[in-house]
Amino acid sequence: MRVFQFCSSASLEKLTGRKAHNLDELLDLVKTCSTSSIFYHTFSAFRKLREVQTPYTNDFAVWIARDLNEEALAEKLLAIDLAEYNTIESLRSRILEILEGYRSENPSSFERTAAEPFYLYSLVRFVYLTDKFAYNLSSFRQLLDTISTDSVYYHFIESRLQTQLQTDDFSNWMEENPDYQELAEKIRKIDMNIHTLEELRVRIGETVDQYL
Amino acid sequence: MSIPSLSDYKDVVGRDVVGELYTLASHVGNRSVTMVNSTAVGGGVAEMLHRVVPLLNELGIETRWEVIKGGADFFDVTKAFHNALQGKEEYFEQEVFKTYLAYNEMNYQEMSFDEDLVVIHDPQPAALIKWQKKRKNKWVWRCHIDMSHPNQQVWDFLRPYVELYDAAIFSSPLFSPQLKIPQYRFYPAIDPLADKNRELDGDYIDSVLEKYEIPRDKPIVTQISRYDPWKDPVGVIQAFKMARRHADCRLLMVGDKAADDPEAEEILAQVNEAAGDDPDIKIIFLTRSIPTEINAFQRASDIVLQKSIREGFALTVSEALWKYRPVIGGAVGGIPAQIIHGYTGMLVHSVEGASLQIRSLLQQPELAKKLGENW
Repeated sequence: MRVFQFCSSASLEKLTGRKAHNLDELLDLVKTCSTSSIFYHTFSAFRKLREVQTPYTNDFAVWIARDLNEEALAEKLLAIDLAEYNTIESLRSRILEILEGYRSENPSSFERTAAEPFYLYSLVRFVYLTDKFAYNLSSFRQLLDTISTDSVYYHFIESRLQTQLQTDDFSNWMEENPDYQELAEKIRKIDMNIHTLEELRVRIGETVDQYL
Repeated sequence: MSIPSLSDYKDVVGRDVVGELYTLASHVGNRSVTMVNSTAVGGGVAEMLHRVVPLLNELGIETRWEVIKGGADFFDVTKAFHNALQGKEEYFEQEVFKTYLAYNEMNYQEMSFDEDLVVIHDPQPAALIKWQKKRKNKWVWRCHIDMSHPNQQVWDFLRPYVELYDAAIFSSPLFSPQLKIPQYRFYPAIDPLADKNRELDGDYIDSVLEKYEIPRDKPIVTQISRYDPWKDPVGVIQAFKMARRHADCRLLMVGDKAADDPEAEEILAQVNEAAGDDPDIKIIFLTRSIPTEINAFQRASDIVLQKSIREGFALTVSEALWKYRPVIGGAVGGIPAQIIHGYTGMLVHSVEGASLQIRSLLQQPELAKKLGENW
């Protein structure tokens, strides 16, 4: 089993000056914005929204529900499971598909002006190595309780964009050991859309405990 | 109480966050920072710098803090600019701009800007950059005020100076103007371990209320803010008087005087006039507030108000939420970033709305408690 070095990430929110006043303009923003902006309003927003346990999983859905009262469209966007996307472009395509599908059924909704515009951000990200190393499952389990929630978030959610794998870092590492194939499968099944990051940490820990 | 060090924050920020700050700081290397603002005492910016500067130094990032100097004429101008940038309609003669630039130039000549990063806070010292030629370091303008509806004349004057910076930071996209330089969003923060926010024992809270002769026979509704028209203190009194017809309560208004704010006495006179001789309204004006007393006022409150009509961020909202108080805030500036309406507090748009929410929360203590706990 290779040594697993824990990473973490920090970010700076950049104001792009671009905004949308209605769904047509939002569609245009999603089509033309940088991958960093899509990342910010989905993965990065998810990290914050999970912490306060709102029902929302991305900024697009928050704005559409709160400022346009288009609940049906918001629900469709909420249903996007970030765990299924390992590239930002595939995620962008899915968001566009939902928006365009809704427009063909509800064209008048796209002309209505929102109470507050949607502000487009992008992100300056900084991923860094920590001084924590797991040499085996036992040391992984010990360190899991000591790492920051930013580190939990990075390895369990964000890292799939780095690895381009449809899996998290933890289960990917565990899978390297033939004895932990089943454990890796169980870790992958933990639903990141339901739990806060602290709850995710507990779930992962409890699952690992079964194999120690 | 001794000044907290970084390790004291471990219980507040969660596991390994402090350790990761050291890791991040190590990437800064031996670069140094200067912070510049216009007052050492009073207001949120000075309060944050008092804590941020020592914490950055503890992380190994050499950081200095300088405060610009000026006469009464300078601070009259900068307060007028502050009001104008927050939307007040006013026409300024050229003399006013000359005064502003003269003091900025004087301060520039007396200060040094050799650090790798120079962070200039707010409009008062924004023009310092004008005299810095051939710079090798980076300059950032950190704007803390609500620039959603700026007076065009003042903004047209300041914008060329702001565009000399390498970047600008705002607390909300609502304040972000069209600029040729990169812009970032950054929220201000409170210090949970400072005297203003740390846990207090009940006896101390009682003694503070006794000192200021505030009976605890009725629920207390409190606004703690500078006496500044944008905090709408007169609107607070109107909302309180409307609400009290339905729910008996007391109003406590507390404000202090910042060195760069020449307007406070004038607004205080308006507040006193609006309050009249109402025995349920207590107005306190402190030349220099004692942080633990502010803390006690907030902890003794049944509801905390921040009924601003323009607002950069309003640290008082975070302070009250930290103390599990239900908060009613004006839906302006940075306040909606802190309050999710109906979930972590109530957002209002008018005197009438504030009055209704005061009544509502006083008569539904369970809801008020839940809002306070949800932050």
